[in-house]
Amino acid sequence: MPASLEEVAIGSTARVTDVAGDDPTTLRLLEMGLTPGVNVRVVGTAPLGGPLELELRGYRLSIRRHDAARVAIAK
Amino acid sequence: MGEPEGSVRPDGGSLPPRQARLGDDPHRPIVAALLGNPNTGKSTLFTALAGIPTRVGNYPGVTVEEKIGRLTHRGRAIDLIDLPGTYSLVPKSPDEQVVVDVLHGRLPGVPAPDCIVIVADATNLERNCYLATQALSLGLPTVVALTLGDAAADKGITIDVEELGRRLACPVVRVVAPARQGIEQLGDRILAAVGSTPTPPRGLDAHMARVDARHEPAAREAIARYAWIEELLAGVVRHHPPARRPLNERIDDLLTHRVWGTLIFAATMLAMFSAIFWLATPLMDWISLGVDAVAGAVEGLLPPGAIRSLVVDGVVAGVGGVVVFVPQIAMLFLFVAVLEGCGYLSRAAFLMDRLLCGVGLGGKSFIPLLSSFACAIPGIMAARTIENPRDRLLTILVAPLMSCSARLPVYLLLCGAFVPNVAVGVPWLRLPAVVLAGMYAVGVAAAALVSLVLSRTVFFGPPQPFVMELPGWRWPRPAVVLERVREAVWSFLQNAGTLIVAVSIVIWALASYPHDDDSIAAEVAAGRASLAARLSELPAGDPDHGELAEQLAALDTEEGIEAARRGAAQRQSLLGRMGRLVEPVVRPLGWDWRLGCAAIASFPAREVVLGTLGVIYNLGDVDPGEEAGASALVRRLRAATWDGTNRKVFTLPVALSIMVFFALCAQCASTLVVIGRETNSWLWPAVTFTYMTVLAWLAAFATYQIAASLLG
Repeated sequence: MPASLEEVAIGSTARVTDVAGDDPTTLRLLEMGLTPGVNVRVVGTAPLGGPLELELRGYRLSIRRHDAARVAIAK
Repeated sequence: MGEPEGSVRPDGGSLPPRQARLGDDPHRPIVAALLGNPNTGKSTLFTALAGIPTRVGNYPGVTVEEKIGRLTHRGRAIDLIDLPGTYSLVPKSPDEQVVVDVLHGRLPGVPAPDCIVIVADATNLERNCYLATQALSLGLPTVVALTLGDAAADKGITIDVEELGRRLACPVVRVVAPARQGIEQLGDRILAAVGSTPTPPRGLDAHMARVDARHEPAAREAIARYAWIEELLAGVVRHHPPARRPLNERIDDLLTHRVWGTLIFAATMLAMFSAIFWLATPLMDWISLGVDAVAGAVEGLLPPGAIRSLVVDGVVAGVGGVVVFVPQIAMLFLFVAVLEGCGYLSRAAFLMDRLLCGVGLGGKSFIPLLSSFACAIPGIMAARTIENPRDRLLTILVAPLMSCSARLPVYLLLCGAFVPNVAVGVPWLRLPAVVLAGMYAVGVAAAALVSLVLSRTVFFGPPQPFVMELPGWRWPRPAVVLERVREAVWSFLQNAGTLIVAVSIVIWALASYPHDDDSIAAEVAAGRASLAARLSELPAGDPDHGELAEQLAALDTEEGIEAARRGAAQRQSLLGRMGRLVEPVVRPLGWDWRLGCAAIASFPAREVVLGTLGVIYNLGDVDPGEEAGASALVRRLRAATWDGTNRKVFTLPVALSIMVFFALCAQCASTLVVIGRETNSWLWPAVTFTYMTVLAWLAAFATYQIAASLLG
């Protein structure tokens, strides 16, 4: 069963396998480089269950938790 | 020109050949479009190339900023269009649509570009190449400007520029914009590129074939494009992680630290807020003094009468009322530009997103809303940093509900005069302070409610993607910061300022006409008679006896008569008549018609309310900012009674209802003008005015009725 990016522990790295959905958010995630095969490190998270801070392709990206849930990963 | 293989055109349109047209007239300026991801140093490059823009405004029909600058390179004029920062040419927002439309020369009044200058950040070339390869597929002559090479070197990234140029099939120039390195070469490359027929790089198709076909076409292209870019950049970009983490990364670590990061964030926001709230105050006082001096000088030059009154109370006061906002706008934009320049603005949005998400807003609304506690005008202008149009509009609509500094004097005076100074629970916590804090809470709660309701109804729609880059720490560029401040101040003075002056003149006319000396004299006499009658009815020991006797005695002095005449003139003016007209409307709030007058007179600018109360209650021009003026006003208000009775006007429920009304009402013409200017429409100021006024009335009504029944 594939896990999602939302479940990755802070400080760990995971490899993206798929991004589910076909709305503008999915396209934006892909356009920002969250494509299958890319390695992503979860750098941190904002307080009160706020967005995640990710590191990929040499830069940092923040996405909301419920959007992270649609990014499938292989650990 | 060669048709780029396999690329999904953003809109499927084909581009007209431009070089033919350009050849017609060698004196026509070359039109170059500056395209790039946000946070790539695009603004710095624009400033280095073109200096101060020659044209700043909005693109037709949308609130996306248009900025065009002119430079001359080797005798050839180049018009540089600074496009909004974007990640992709598949438009998902109005500003991205503008980028695509400008590149295709489809926007009326905006010249079609002859070439594209792509700004690419060397620290993350992969993502920057996404937009770059999309733009190259358009087939326009293109030059890539590689920025932030120093930051990339710090991170141990080396780039083979020659090879990159070969693989992208377009010239790549390394630029260090602040030091002007590579600027000349970039200009040469632009001149050389214009007129050439570029061949877009090939290879995307092969990757398209390998992507799982179950994805949507646009998603397939995105996946394939990254795979292609990885191949293009293989061997071009090399990573040699440095032994010691570079300074900006160590600063980053501190800023993103769980504890230190949050503390630094709170301190930064506090500093910003204090600066606009307190540091701007002396500057604003100086401006007021200057305006007073000009008014005094004009008064000496002109004979008394309607013209003098128009110039002094209409024009000079109106211009002064505009200029007085400049320190706050400049101060806030100084902060915003510095925070933006060092990449911290995104981090603020990241940290506050969850909190604002709950009420239908986003993290980027935080700074505009926080700034609105000082003044809604710079706050609304700072909403320009919100790319998402829905969030931006919603932020603009609720920003005026934050209690601005102009409401504070009203709160302070009424809390001090009419809220009993008793302890609440603990000895150091006094009721007036609790009520004061409550007024701020009323504004915040109303903003949360309005935003929640609007985001679920009028603004209901699919959730906007919140996918935001968090740029690393970077030193802000002074030239870019100053340009941002200059631009904000200038656009306020030029666009909003003229309208605000016009509105001030209209309000002056309403408060000054009709003006009939005979009926004013009659009202003053009638006021004296009613005062004498009330005094004779009161027993000598009554606490109001002294105050009434003093008021009566004042009517025998020249100053007292003048104040009474001014009060009568204001009450008889159109504005005053409107106050009487609305009396049935303000009665349920516990107000008499004079309070209605004062509220109406404060619609143009709420800061005048205390002065207006002074005039309406025949005190003349008191300065409520000074202790003597404030205490005179408080004594006069405490003694005020309903016409023809001994029933007091100002009670605790009335004071509370006034404060709640002021907390929620749209009593600031300048704010409405700025909303009109920022949204490019008169609909939104009208909506703001209507909903806030209705909300203020309802809340004041509820406050008065509840407080009156509780307090008996």
